[in-house]
Amino acid sequence: MKLAIEVWRQSDPLDKGHWERHELDELSPNASLLDVIDLLNQQIVDGGGEAVAYESDCREGICGACGVTVNGVPHGPVPNTPSCRQHLRAFGDIKRLRIEPLRSASFPVVRDLVVDRSALDRLAAAGGTVAVNAGKAPDADALPVTHADAELALDFAACIGCGACVAACPNGSAHLFAGAKVAHLALLPQPSTERGRRARAMVDAVEAEFGPCSTYGECVKVCPAGIDLAAVAALHRERLRGALRGRDD
Amino acid sequence: MNVNRLRRTGHDVDARVPHVPPAEAWAARKLSYKLVSPTNRRHLKVIVVGTGLAGSGAAAALAELGYEVEVFTYHDAPRRAHSVAAQGGINAARARAVDNDSLERFVIDVVKGGDFRGREAEAYRLGEESVRVIDHLNAIGAPFAREYGGMLATRSFGGVQVSRTYYTRGQTGQQLQVAAAQALLRQVHAGKITLHTRHEMLDLIVDGGRARGIVARNLVTGDVRAYSAHAVVLATGGYGSVFFHSTLARHSNASAAWRAHLRGAHLASPSFVQFHPTALPVDSPHQSKTTLMSESLRNDGRIWVPVRPGDDRAPLLIPETERDYYLERQYPAYGNLAPRDISSRAARRMIDAGHGVGPLRNSVYLDFSDAIARVGRATIEERYGNLFHMYSDVTGEDPYTEPMRIAPAAHFTMGGLWSDFDLMTSIPGLFVGGEAGSGYHGANRLGANSLLSACVDGWFTLPLSVPNYLAGVRGEELLGEDSPVAHSAVAEVRARVDELLSIGGTTRASTFHRELGEILYAGCGFGRTAEGLSTAIAAIAELRERFWTDLRVPGTADRLNQELEEAGRVADFLDLGHLMCLDALDREESAGAHFREEHQTSSGEAKRNDKRWAFTSVWQHGSPPIRHREPLRFSAVKLQERDYR
Amino acid sequence: MSTATKRSSPARRAPRRPAITSFALKITMAVTGWLFAAFVGIHMYGNLKAYAGADAYNSYSFWLRNAFYPLLPHEGLLWIMRVVLAVALVAHVGASAILWARGRRFRGPHRRGSYFALGARSMPWTGILLLAFIVFHLLDLTLGIFGAATYQHATPTESFAFQNTVTSFQRPLAGGFYLLTMVALAAHLAHGLWTTANDVGVTAPRVRRVWKVVAYAVAIVIALGNATLPIAVWLGVLS
Repeated sequence: MKLAIEVWRQSDPLDKGHWERHELDELSPNASLLDVIDLLNQQIVDGGGEAVAYESDCREGICGACGVTVNGVPHGPVPNTPSCRQHLRAFGDIKRLRIEPLRSASFPVVRDLVVDRSALDRLAAAGGTVAVNAGKAPDADALPVTHADAELALDFAACIGCGACVAACPNGSAHLFAGAKVAHLALLPQPSTERGRRARAMVDAVEAEFGPCSTYGECVKVCPAGIDLAAVAALHRERLRGALRGRDD
Repeated sequence: MNVNRLRRTGHDVDARVPHVPPAEAWAARKLSYKLVSPTNRRHLKVIVVGTGLAGSGAAAALAELGYEVEVFTYHDAPRRAHSVAAQGGINAARARAVDNDSLERFVIDVVKGGDFRGREAEAYRLGEESVRVIDHLNAIGAPFAREYGGMLATRSFGGVQVSRTYYTRGQTGQQLQVAAAQALLRQVHAGKITLHTRHEMLDLIVDGGRARGIVARNLVTGDVRAYSAHAVVLATGGYGSVFFHSTLARHSNASAAWRAHLRGAHLASPSFVQFHPTALPVDSPHQSKTTLMSESLRNDGRIWVPVRPGDDRAPLLIPETERDYYLERQYPAYGNLAPRDISSRAARRMIDAGHGVGPLRNSVYLDFSDAIARVGRATIEERYGNLFHMYSDVTGEDPYTEPMRIAPAAHFTMGGLWSDFDLMTSIPGLFVGGEAGSGYHGANRLGANSLLSACVDGWFTLPLSVPNYLAGVRGEELLGEDSPVAHSAVAEVRARVDELLSIGGTTRASTFHRELGEILYAGCGFGRTAEGLSTAIAAIAELRERFWTDLRVPGTADRLNQELEEAGRVADFLDLGHLMCLDALDREESAGAHFREEHQTSSGEAKRNDKRWAFTSVWQHGSPPIRHREPLRFSAVKLQERDYR
Repeated sequence: MSTATKRSSPARRAPRRPAITSFALKITMAVTGWLFAAFVGIHMYGNLKAYAGADAYNSYSFWLRNAFYPLLPHEGLLWIMRVVLAVALVAHVGASAILWARGRRFRGPHRRGSYFALGARSMPWTGILLLAFIVFHLLDLTLGIFGAATYQHATPTESFAFQNTVTSFQRPLAGGFYLLTMVALAAHLAHGLWTTANDVGVTAPRVRRVWKVVAYAVAIVIALGNATLPIAVWLGVLS
């Protein structure tokens, strides 16, 4: 199959950036979105140009490195699927791909399709941690966790940190990311000893660098880990709980 | 090719394992370690390269103890390190169930699984510390699967007959990695760790025979700088991606370890590479890597091929009697859970004999229909839901209704930087952790032991052994960044970057990488022969020649340039690929994943030669390279032929 | 370290959160939103008294003006409600304006395109329409400035709410605007009430499902209840 491709080129963070048009022929419907970018790069380099910079690593949908916006949708047209697992055969009759970086003021472009998502790490550093030093932990079987809680915690912990939720949000909000972390840790006995402290720190951090949540729900449509919107509620629940209790636990 | 002309032989090297029974070695060594008092720790600086399970763990634990730590990763975030992609689980010798598991049995499984080419005393350490690993990771947020009674759930993995693998669905690596990366970030937040993301280590600074720092390149600005420390820890992962098509991440590479090797760190058994039996087959030529499917699938899936070679009927149309469940047939005691090297080789043989399935006839079936009939679709979904989802994304096929197609692919490297029992390499002050090192796994790693070894190294070995070294260099000034040795190391790195950019040829680095992968799969893959290895060595030499004359790297070095990064990594892969073939050619025996066709039993299994080869090959860089020996002695586990029948 | 690395380092000191957090603003919007929902619910109930006849309607209106007398002065309850609702309105609109501006700032210049999310997207527009309606509604039926030609102010002994309402709705534009507002009210209430589940932290899946159904049901019932009035006036049921 044949595709018209418009790709965002931006040489460095200060460059204004522009669209570049290309055509790719003889694409296999089994090619993934990132295979398409690879083939595009081969064509560009063969023509004497510089390859489009983009991020990807595991190509199995777990590392969270990849993520481009395709035709306005973070990760691509297939819902809840990371860019590396988007295959042309699932694109329907799309004949034109407009590929740009994950967009958010909190994610400055480094080059082309590569953005700086370190704001997410600052968020995790501020509150997504557990204050237990190596070697001090109690026996893991001594703190039973119900099957349901463990499964639910994992549902939230499945977040791959790709940042698509932020890019999908018209407000540039990271509530789904922050909420998933808070919800996951609140369900587990050891990490929940610092719930109040964590909720305050996370909400402060999320508000310092990200926009507010208006329940657009766009984030859950793109989230490759299928995080539920209840994560957003969990962030507020934990914050309210912390405010009402006024304690660190 | 005469191997004697390609290498010299050296002497015996000592891993400094205490001369006590192996079960007591770790306790004895710990007791002999020197300590650093808490007030002195903040004056001692450690560089950790890599933020996977070993790197994050070591960095966090050392910072928790009060040392000053500087961490480097080429990723944009510490969580992305490739530990994140491990799926099935992490072993632990907790032995809670009454299936007769124990620390001793864990050690037997590891030593035997590694085909007696690993260190017995380290297997004990691995088992002993495994208990604390589970407790710690559970405490810092890894949501391990739980039974209905609230206790930790376990499952079985290849090469063992007990159930000692702890897991979080099919994403155990991710959960452990995120928990470890968070522990690292906690110390970043506390100001104890300085984290450099998008920085790639390109050289090691050695002064007076000791590791004193590293040279790293800022991938965004191209800035090359020296960073000094009292000790350096490399936790930079394995080099399976040398095969191009591997289960590793696109950017996984050997450069940090290889650069250390060039500076004097010895490499152990580089040819010991594990081929994972349950990867997805390569379906198209432009595919950039293969996808890993957890080995845990073999708990419930049955592996088969059509009895008749070339049978191209759809799998559901092939009646039961015309299916060959070859693992169950050949290894009835372990069946589909035979160790990885054996399963991979068996699959390879079936494919080579014409029984392969799929469009390119390069895969075998992994069938869940019996399991679904037995426990129901919901249970299978809970156990492997994300893997099945991934499979249908990649292939467009539904594994609930038709069998998966799997094929073996390059996966884990048992070889790596040689280290002593303290995880210190042959360069004092340079430590190694996780897959970048060697030691535990011998010639074949058991499933779910890589997460474990990375965690044990990071959380519970390096934080004890690095301070032992630091105690000896306390009070020493850090190497100045403008000292002559740092200065020349930086200049060398810059010159190499410029050289890569200035070749001005026609071929991209990825093309050379792909070719190297094909050479290695053919010559240094599942089955190796003296002839095949000689051919591969010659082909690599030719490829290397072409690389340095025909490489094309577009762009400049003063901004993010992924082609430039890749070129540097491929250059190192070419040199490493040569050493791998040399090591495989040198080792005139079969052991674990290293299968020399010339050395096999009548039933086609790996045939060790314990009289001549019961040692680890320890390679020193040189021209030609020098192969030393680290003799291996077994006292707790008796040397025996592996038998999984 | 160069600036580019500083920017990309997680160790970089994070900017501080705003003095008034979005969390506080969202809670403010949720609580004031509930207040408005309760108000329009009771208001609708009062409106439906029109079907019980002019006397019932007017006496309800009269009661509102004199409720709890002498505990409260004449129009005491009314003024308490007016003050509370006015403060709530300022808070609600103010908070929404700040949040809207914050959302745009953090999103940056490349706006999100190609998405639907009608519920959330329409909130500012339905909100502005409701605000415009409130102004008109007060001028029409409370102050009588834009009221129908026959508008009569209430006296200490009598209320003419029924007559004023009917004559107001008899103007097609006023009645049409009212109907349009009710559509906006339904949309605004439905999404707003559902959103408050997230704002106050309702995570239990079953409660969330029920909450959503109730939010939409309340919104539709209130809007429909009110919308019957101008239609009944046009059909001559109320006159």
